[in-house]
Amino acid sequence: MKEMKRVLTRRDFIRGTIGVTIGTSILGFRWPKAEAQAARSSLVTIVRDENAMDTSFNVDRTILKKMLEQTLTKVTGRKNSKEAWLSLLNPGDTIGLVPTPHLNPTHDEVVDVVRNSLVDAGIPGESILDAQGRDSPEKVKKCTALIGLPALKAHWLTGIGTVIKNYILFSGNPRGYHQSDSSKLGEIWKLPFVKGKTKLVLVDSLYPLCDKGPQPDPRYKWAYNGLIAGTDPVAVETVCLKIIETKREAIRGEPWPLSPPPICIEAADKVYGLGTSRVEEIRVEHYGWEKDLLI
Amino acid sequence: MRMLQKTSFFLIFFVSVYVFFEGAVVESEASAIDLPKTVGVWTRPETPQIINSENIFEYMNGAGELYLGYRFRHLEAFEYTSEEQAGILVELYFMETSDDAFGLLSLDWGGEIIFFGGIPGDRSNPSLDSSTRALYGAGLLRMWSDDLYVRVMAFRETPASRQAVLALAEAIAANRMNPPEPRLLTALSAQIGSVWALRKDRLSFFRSYLSLNSVYYLSHENILDLNLSTEAVMVTYENVAGSGEQRRSQFLVVQYENRERARKALNRFHEAYLPEHQEAFTTDLADKGPRLFKIEDGWLAYKLIGNYVAIVFECPDRETAGMIIEGNEPDLPK
Repeated sequence: MKEMKRVLTRRDFIRGTIGVTIGTSILGFRWPKAEAQAARSSLVTIVRDENAMDTSFNVDRTILKKMLEQTLTKVTGRKNSKEAWLSLLNPGDTIGLVPTPHLNPTHDEVVDVVRNSLVDAGIPGESILDAQGRDSPEKVKKCTALIGLPALKAHWLTGIGTVIKNYILFSGNPRGYHQSDSSKLGEIWKLPFVKGKTKLVLVDSLYPLCDKGPQPDPRYKWAYNGLIAGTDPVAVETVCLKIIETKREAIRGEPWPLSPPPICIEAADKVYGLGTSRVEEIRVEHYGWEKDLLI
Repeated sequence: MRMLQKTSFFLIFFVSVYVFFEGAVVESEASAIDLPKTVGVWTRPETPQIINSENIFEYMNGAGELYLGYRFRHLEAFEYTSEEQAGILVELYFMETSDDAFGLLSLDWGGEIIFFGGIPGDRSNPSLDSSTRALYGAGLLRMWSDDLYVRVMAFRETPASRQAVLALAEAIAANRMNPPEPRLLTALSAQIGSVWALRKDRLSFFRSYLSLNSVYYLSHENILDLNLSTEAVMVTYENVAGSGEQRRSQFLVVQYENRERARKALNRFHEAYLPEHQEAFTTDLADKGPRLFKIEDGWLAYKLIGNYVAIVFECPDRETAGMIIEGNEPDLPK
């Protein structure tokens, strides 16, 4: 029988061999880095408030500010927002905020509340940049720390388009990371000017989008009224995925898997060692409104 | 040297003529849809934003791949604005054929079915009993109208915006033809045996593997060689009498330009999807009767039928897998 390139197919997902197939195709037969295999425990917090948005989906900034404070103290174990930020960042850091610009964009209110909170913690306003956009590689190079601020959403080319995919423009070649190459999204986090800079991932989960698009369809948006956060991007993405999958099944009343499947998550764990995608290694803590938590 | 100058002149001339007439086509089509200047409290700009295959990614990022996966010509976008309410976005996707516009709608049959009256559309397969051409939900209306695929979306749904969205859609659809669904749908049997019924809300028409993967993930690579010259339908059959776990099977049929292309595509599919059965693939066998394989999620069957490839996925037993292929074979368009 002739030697053939392994092609990732539906059967890999059924058999649970996706990590092996992706690892083989990307890294040859080398298996991932040791850090990806070591025992880990990652904390992901979910803070929700029923009144974070009104019935017209307008965001209440006062409530949002309280949700952020609670998120920061729970993620870091510090007493207040200032201490929390300073445990994650250095006062001299140039900080890049990375919101999601398209499809289901990050609320401006979320970006503003984070920026104000950083300033209140003593970070000079001029040291806080918007690091998203087509010119983002140059902007990110100026930053010494990044805060991911994606919005919770599915994506029609990559399955999920929240945490890992949020840095796609840093690559300078976004089309190179769609479909089969979406498994390689994790490599963007390893670029020399990106690696190690992400100090916090804070997912705007106020009004998520659970279908993949490709364009926004309001039937698949719902008021979750939450902020999801952690320092492990893969663990945060894994929790986001669970919420989206559960919501999809609730909408249709029958299994409705994301299609294509979000291979970038498992690859980010097993191939790039960015964090854990194993549910048993993720500690989820939730605070506030419990209705339809979906996890 | 003179020869080179002469060649350059003709080249520039032909390119200029091409660009001029291409532009003229777009302009002429732009005026083909008579959108009202105002609807309710909303007013549109004089001219639309025109998007073509060159700049579609600037307009909608990766979403452009969806439209380029069908036979896309251009898009006109108008945003109706109002001082009192959030805006309404009208997007008119001009496609090369009615089949392409149908395909875009067919990716999601959810929502409230909207009828605008007028002459009912033709149907290619009356047994499917599906004449849906417009669907509305939560402020978004999607519509198939001849070679036009339409999205009209209120950024915030209110009773007034719903009324405006429906009025705009009705104005767009007025006096337009209602061609039948793609011919490939004529092959589909609404019922297989006594218990397997076709799910009309899970029937999608497409040409690209990106669209296939968005309705039923097969592979991150194009293992069926789909492209703009192919036509494909994916549909779910449901066991209406069953109560077990495996109540649904998927049926895919792809029409290729010719038998040779179909044969090559099936060969590639077999190699990628059934690598442990390499010894089992021969083209001679592939078109004699359904080839059947037991894999992780049930029985898989395929058959090469002229310039068609038919495949069944996730079937609970081999008999049904064969029945679904054979039940859909006789009416494939010749």
